[in-house]
Amino acid sequence: MGGSVKEAAPLPESAGVVIIGAGISGCSIAREVVKYTDDVVILDKETDVADETTKANNAEVHSGIGEKTGTLKQKLNVRGNRLYDEFVEGLGIELKRQGLLIVITPRTLPTSITRWLPKRVVRYVLERVVPRLIMRNGRKKGIPGQTVLTRQEIFDREPHVTRNAIAGVFDPTYGLVSPYKLAMALAENAIQNGARLFLETEVTGIKVEGGAVVSVVTNRGEIRAPIVVNAAGVFADKVADMAGAGGFEIHPRKGASLLFDRDITADYVHSSVAEFRMFHKGHSKGGGAMPTAEGNLQLGPTAIETGDRYDTSISAEEIEEIFDRFYYLLPDFPRSAIISAFSGIRAPTLDEDFIIEPSARTKGFVNVAGIQSPGLAAAPAIAEMVIGILHGLGVPDTRREDFDPVRPAPPRFTELTDEERDSLIEKDPDFGHIICRCETVTEAEVVNAIHGPIPAKNMDMVKRRTRVGMGRCQGGFCGFRCAEIIARERGIPITEVTKDGAGSWVFADETKHLLAEGDAGEAGQ
Amino acid sequence: MISKKKRTPQLAVIGGGPAGLGAALAASKAGIDDIVMIERDIELGGILPQCIHDGFGSKVFKEVLTGPQYAQRYIDEIARTNVEVLLNTMVLELASNRTITAVNSAEGMITIEPKAVVLAMGCRERSRHQVFIPGYRPAGVITAGAAQRDINIEGLMPGRKIVILGSGDIGLIMARRFTLEGAQVEGVYEIMDHPGGLPRNIVQCCYDYDIPLLLSHTVTFIHGKKRVEGVTVAHVDADLKAVKDTECFIDCDTLVLSVGLIPENEISKHAGVTLDPVTAGPIVDERMETTVDGIFACGNVVNVFDLVDYVTRTSEVAGRGAAEYVLAGRKREAPVRVLPGRNVKYVVPQFVSDLGRDIDFYFRVEHPERAVTARVLAGTSPVKSKKHKMVHPPEMLTATATAADIAEAAKAEGRQVDSLLVEVVDSGK
Repeated sequence: MGGSVKEAAPLPESAGVVIIGAGISGCSIAREVVKYTDDVVILDKETDVADETTKANNAEVHSGIGEKTGTLKQKLNVRGNRLYDEFVEGLGIELKRQGLLIVITPRTLPTSITRWLPKRVVRYVLERVVPRLIMRNGRKKGIPGQTVLTRQEIFDREPHVTRNAIAGVFDPTYGLVSPYKLAMALAENAIQNGARLFLETEVTGIKVEGGAVVSVVTNRGEIRAPIVVNAAGVFADKVADMAGAGGFEIHPRKGASLLFDRDITADYVHSSVAEFRMFHKGHSKGGGAMPTAEGNLQLGPTAIETGDRYDTSISAEEIEEIFDRFYYLLPDFPRSAIISAFSGIRAPTLDEDFIIEPSARTKGFVNVAGIQSPGLAAAPAIAEMVIGILHGLGVPDTRREDFDPVRPAPPRFTELTDEERDSLIEKDPDFGHIICRCETVTEAEVVNAIHGPIPAKNMDMVKRRTRVGMGRCQGGFCGFRCAEIIARERGIPITEVTKDGAGSWVFADETKHLLAEGDAGEAGQ
Repeated sequence: MISKKKRTPQLAVIGGGPAGLGAALAASKAGIDDIVMIERDIELGGILPQCIHDGFGSKVFKEVLTGPQYAQRYIDEIARTNVEVLLNTMVLELASNRTITAVNSAEGMITIEPKAVVLAMGCRERSRHQVFIPGYRPAGVITAGAAQRDINIEGLMPGRKIVILGSGDIGLIMARRFTLEGAQVEGVYEIMDHPGGLPRNIVQCCYDYDIPLLLSHTVTFIHGKKRVEGVTVAHVDADLKAVKDTECFIDCDTLVLSVGLIPENEISKHAGVTLDPVTAGPIVDERMETTVDGIFACGNVVNVFDLVDYVTRTSEVAGRGAAEYVLAGRKREAPVRVLPGRNVKYVVPQFVSDLGRDIDFYFRVEHPERAVTARVLAGTSPVKSKKHKMVHPPEMLTATATAADIAEAAKAEGRQVDSLLVEVVDSGK
């Protein structure tokens, strides 16, 4: 126990449970399973946990009001939201339940409806009827504590909201949690309790004998396992097909978001704010303006169908679309304070619901597929549902007495008091050396990340663990320092440091070498 | 343990680049001997040590120096004073009562309670997202200053096949630098219809090396999921919007950005210093004192200068002003505003507290113009004027009005001067 991810450690010959995919779903399930058995292996083809869809997730712990009644995702969302505080306990992860303000504006009803109605009627509907419809919808779905706000009450809470606002509904159960930090904390706690994580390990086949799963074949060898959980996100359909347990298709849908400078936007909105638009096309819940856990304002996401499961690009049109959408809701939002734009790929199935079930055709194979929004909010409930399935497949159902739910979170300089900082620096002077000026991250934090339970091997891994390079300069000042520390701590030449794994080289070479190449070329002519 | 670390100097200078060095030295010469200078890097000099090209010091020293040489002159002089230099030390906060909280490895948390403060934090580079470049987020998108540091200080090449976006001075200088190091520079692309850098750099860095400089062009997409594999560039129309059918792909492994500098004022904002939305730096008076009494600012933290010589000059004014504040104290009189007039984007200082002194004005034009006169007016009476054959936005214009000039203008005006105007007008008028 208390192990860590060894570089190039060989895969074990067998495991009780293999989980494919170390995104938020896979990590939540892993942490649930280790409560009952430590014989768990997690595989992921990427260099880090949460390295695909999860890292680009918008951090929203939805209440569940936006999902269609009767769907599995609606049920698990409401349940997940309720379980969340307990879920994050001991992980050192902050869940900020700052609530969601749903704003009703003249755009709430489409003009195709309003143009047939007298103005007074429209106004009455928007001001009196729509809030009640939202409230009733919430009650029906089991969402507690919603309140109706008048126009003035909206402005009192959120002075930047458009003066066109007519009424609003406040949903206090809605919260924000850092998706990749949570996935990482879950994985670390699972590892601490005996689970084994293998990164850069791509599943290439699944062997099935006599209608039951027997092993998982990867680029790094084969693991025998009687139980395999498919939490492969955007690739869940492909993995299911390998086990003969498919029959669904993931169609990737891109979501782009914009992030703003914390110093300018820290108090811009206090809860998340979204404009309510009825009968509005689009699959995402329309997105909103969110104050992230770190205080950066975030706008988004978009919802664009894409054929490419790796398409994390952002087009000029997408950026403009986000701006256009939020100019209406927040007319004075600080466009120039943008520091980053990112996008990720959602993994919906064609019928847009979660698929969480043991395969009827392949015994021991469990699909956790089609997990898109509200997958983060539903994560605790997904894990709860999956462990129920796994108990049925033979995972012991008595809790381990030695399960330790507390993950020792590494100290974050910015979150400490001056006295705590002083005593840390006395023990380790690197805590007094600020590497990232914008986010105030110390050298010791970077070193800890490199030697952590899931060692940070490249710059993006350090960034996700420490926030180095996430601030307004986007690594302009600290990029080299960070690369230098990675090289030093891993004992590799700095020219081998990457941004996020193979192919993403940071430095081409040392100076003068290109000149030497040129000279050699000329001499040869 | 904590109390032993509290310092109560007469002056604290935040930043040990050219601005901080100049301010500390000037304050020291003006009779203050208890000065603390706080620098977050491992050495003094700020950005100068990585600027190994020449062109520094023509105004201050009447010599052409490299960046390291320019910095070293001040570093040597500082070494001969009593200024306490704290290296590797990061200021975490400056309160409006001037209390500084800082940290370093050797002492841990440090509290400094100076009588006056000079802000000399310089500026930072604009990043990719601040100029909205769509595409992927691979390795190989780097700011020009970071590339300069990699090559000149660390001895590392950030790439082999380079496209440079933005024709600011650092971008132009890096076009030459990459070429001299054997990398292939595919071109410098500038969205505006005029270059962002000084004319001498366009000639010496681009033309002399046959590097294409394309005006009214921008990068519209970054290709490559792991490492940059190329960029799409396009011509832009008069509204700076890319024209679709002019798009073309350029094979490269690195995109270097030289798309502007922003004064670093996070610390200033927390201290309650009022910033000028145009310069993004503190509003200052003729002594470089900000809107908070006893907090002065100089160099690129106030506005981004084109020449280090001006950084030094403003820092000397700030250093002397801070010394005077500490030694004599003073009450500021009703401020006289300094307003930008025709074809003037902004003027530093933004206000004058004491018309009885010599005042250096620094200003930039909004658009290029030929055969113009730059002048300072008190009411309608000219205080100072100077003819220019050609003016460009990147180039800082200066004017010095002596106390006598102002008094004379006030006399001609026949009333108290309540504002000054700086304008650039056709020389024919």
